[in-house]
Amino acid sequence: MTNGVIIQFNNVTKQYDNDPPVLKDVSFEIERGKFYTLLGPSGCGKTTILRLIAGFTEASEGEIFFNEKKINDIPANKRQVNTVFQDYALFPHLNVFENVAFGLRIKKLKNAEIEQKVREALSFVNLKGYETREIREMSGGQRQRVAIARAIVNEPEVILLDEPLSALDLKLRTEMQYELRELQRRLGITFIFVTHDQEEALAMSDEIFVIDKGKIQQSGTPTDIYDEPINRFVADFIGESNIVKGRMIADYRVEFVGKEFECVDQGLNENEPVEIVIRPEDMVITTLEHGKLQVRVDSQLFRGVHYEICCYDKDENEWLVHSTKKANVGDKIGLYFDAEAIHVMRHGETEEEFDRRLEAYTDVEPDGK
Amino acid sequence: MDKRISPISKLFLVIVFFILYAPIFFLVFYSFNSGGTMSNFEGFTLDWYKELFHDVRLLIIVLNTLVIALLSALISTVVGVLGALVIHSVKRRQTKNTLLSLNNVLIVSPDVIIGASFLILFTMAGIKLGFYSVLFSHIAFSIPIVVLMVLPKLMEMSPTLIDAAKDLGANRWNVLSKVTLPFITPGIFAGFFMALTYSFDDFAVTFFVTGNGFSTLSVEIYSLARRGIALNINALSALLFLFTMLLVVVYYFITQRNKPKGMGVRK
Amino acid sequence: MENKLSRNLYMVPYVLWIVLFVIAPIFLVVYYSFFDIEGNLSFINYQKFFTPVYLKMTFSSFWYAFLITAISLLIAYPTALLLTKTKHKQLWLLLIIVPSWINLLLKAYAFLGIFGTYGVTNSFLEVIGIGAQQILFTDFSFVFVSVYIFIPFMILPIFNSLNELNPTLLDAANDLGASKWITFRRVIFPLTMDGVKSGCQVVFIPALSLFMLTRLIAGNRVITLGTAIEQHFLVTRDWGMGSTIAVFLIISMFLIMIVTGTRKRGV
Repeated sequence: MTNGVIIQFNNVTKQYDNDPPVLKDVSFEIERGKFYTLLGPSGCGKTTILRLIAGFTEASEGEIFFNEKKINDIPANKRQVNTVFQDYALFPHLNVFENVAFGLRIKKLKNAEIEQKVREALSFVNLKGYETREIREMSGGQRQRVAIARAIVNEPEVILLDEPLSALDLKLRTEMQYELRELQRRLGITFIFVTHDQEEALAMSDEIFVIDKGKIQQSGTPTDIYDEPINRFVADFIGESNIVKGRMIADYRVEFVGKEFECVDQGLNENEPVEIVIRPEDMVITTLEHGKLQVRVDSQLFRGVHYEICCYDKDENEWLVHSTKKANVGDKIGLYFDAEAIHVMRHGETEEEFDRRLEAYTDVEPDGK
Repeated sequence: MDKRISPISKLFLVIVFFILYAPIFFLVFYSFNSGGTMSNFEGFTLDWYKELFHDVRLLIIVLNTLVIALLSALISTVVGVLGALVIHSVKRRQTKNTLLSLNNVLIVSPDVIIGASFLILFTMAGIKLGFYSVLFSHIAFSIPIVVLMVLPKLMEMSPTLIDAAKDLGANRWNVLSKVTLPFITPGIFAGFFMALTYSFDDFAVTFFVTGNGFSTLSVEIYSLARRGIALNINALSALLFLFTMLLVVVYYFITQRNKPKGMGVRK
Repeated sequence: MENKLSRNLYMVPYVLWIVLFVIAPIFLVVYYSFFDIEGNLSFINYQKFFTPVYLKMTFSSFWYAFLITAISLLIAYPTALLLTKTKHKQLWLLLIIVPSWINLLLKAYAFLGIFGTYGVTNSFLEVIGIGAQQILFTDFSFVFVSVYIFIPFMILPIFNSLNELNPTLLDAANDLGASKWITFRRVIFPLTMDGVKSGCQVVFIPALSLFMLTRLIAGNRVITLGTAIEQHFLVTRDWGMGSTIAVFLIISMFLIMIVTGTRKRGV
């Protein structure tokens, strides 16, 4: 596997007529052989990025590079990428074999070669023996596989997947998540996966781009993004979070809900207003006196693996707790959390500034823990 | 929904169907009357059919009608499919609506107006009234019907299908021949058959633009009927009825075959 | 890359058709309406149109068209409603449509026999003691035959709109305590209004302009705008006056289309 940049966006903007732009000055790089996820709510611009890469739409401004070649003006049918569509876009008048063979026939390959490649691709997605089936005879999951086979058979360098799992039921979706990830490892080519499902993104990706309002909010590995969200949007969108307003008192000291806490953040201005994120699973239920926070249990839902407990403190701030232990509604309880569980977010921090700050911690911290 | 139908409603439906079909069977019934009128059935005979098949003039007219119908249906299907593609490709809403309105003018226009205006058109253009004027008129009024049969199929087609084809390397011609046309084939067939039946059935437009030397079946029936009752018309109608039924059955089978099997494997 | 010109070459036939057979004929009709029978430019045709003779004819033409549409609707709506409740509704619908594919002139011709002086109807009337009547060549026969011919065209759009109706809406209405009649009046009928409108449109406009029926069945007792146009174009050869009437027919056609124009409803 050669590392190196395969796709590069330089200040790309996409705007339809005089509407506000769907993508605003977006720049990023995609490396060869990794599994990327573009994650964001609907209408955030993630599908637009995909369509720009595939060539279904043209950038209003900026440059797009593929293998160091500018591809802004290259039509979709001449690009080395293949797409798996949200609705699969399988040709209803062709059977499974002919759907997969479509791209090869366009390339005018010999029949024997087509035959061999299609069979290979179909066995790759576990659809051996389905060659002569009609598309409408296939289930949702099988159609999904046909769509994937149709893309990989052309041996593209990049495969684009536009919310391909959204039409499947939960169990099948989880299954396909494993399969897709496995497939990407086996093929060793770049996957760019678009989804609005954060769990899916966290489970599958090497690298996630969290997108909102036409901008990339944060990019990084799933753990980076989960543990160190850059702003309120990312914290809120990825997983569940307790977010409250706070104030930095000094390095390693932060104040929120009227109390002072120890934290691991430093290098911020004194008295700088910040936002505090604490993940619900980092909260531990304890007695009133041992708790760093004292709250009242308002309601409780059983979620299977854990209880989701909703509590309020005396200022009516909501605190969500994930706990394997049951609580009693109406009880007053204490909540304990480590200093590392407190994540401090600065207002209006860019990704570079954020990364620099986090790097500074690791330089300082090693002796801390 | 209430699936039960009361006896009164049933009776109503029966009467409607009876009235719809009675005149047709009435015609067919009397085509076997040796009496020569449509009132007293005197005895069974096939004379009127024999007479029909010996009427060379009439046979030529039947041939004319068939040629006109097939040619006009064929040409209007080609132009109509192109038209549907044009309308479908237009992005601007206003242009699209204008095109659609223009398309529908000939569908909603009364036949007399189409006939009269085409008569003026052909006279001005110096086209002699006869075969060509009739053919052109039939092509002209069939095109919008084909468009209306094909356009919904185009709309039904998910735009991602086209994206998918391009994504797999198809150029414009590939997309058209390998994806779009196969997908809209049922609509094209429907359009062709509609054009065929419209051409067969047309009387008013043809009546205006046909000259002295040329006649189609409808025009011929009209001039015969104006002279009064003649049972060879009955015989003719019985045959036409059979022919129409045949068309319906053929059409039904073609659409049925198209539906579940798609176009099969295309190599 | 293909160049822009050849890319858009496929548009030529359809656009040509629009220009030659949609736009040009309308202009020619308007143009000709300004010429008198000698070929001189004048407004004489328009002056003539506003004389009592023509106004009366226009009025009666509208009146008959209205009658035909109203009666067709009265029969078609319940028929369509009942059809949607039958088991094989698509088959029954097909059976309703089939008669509309039979040549219109043959159906008209059948009524020459049925309504004739010695025809079936009169024999029947004599049997039940009313005695033979003059049925053919009356307003009644004209309206009856017209309704007979137009009924399938009225049923089809109404059936389609009824068929598209979401059945849970009816359950919802029921659930909210609406009786059958209220459900019909407040839910079914308003939701199928588009079907009714397009049904009225496809009946009313041709009903204004049928000329072969008036000639064959009404024996010149009923003169519609269509008959007048045919008369002027093909008999008296006064194309100017024929065009003038056609212009008014086109105008009323547009008015009707605006009135019955289907507006897209919110979902």
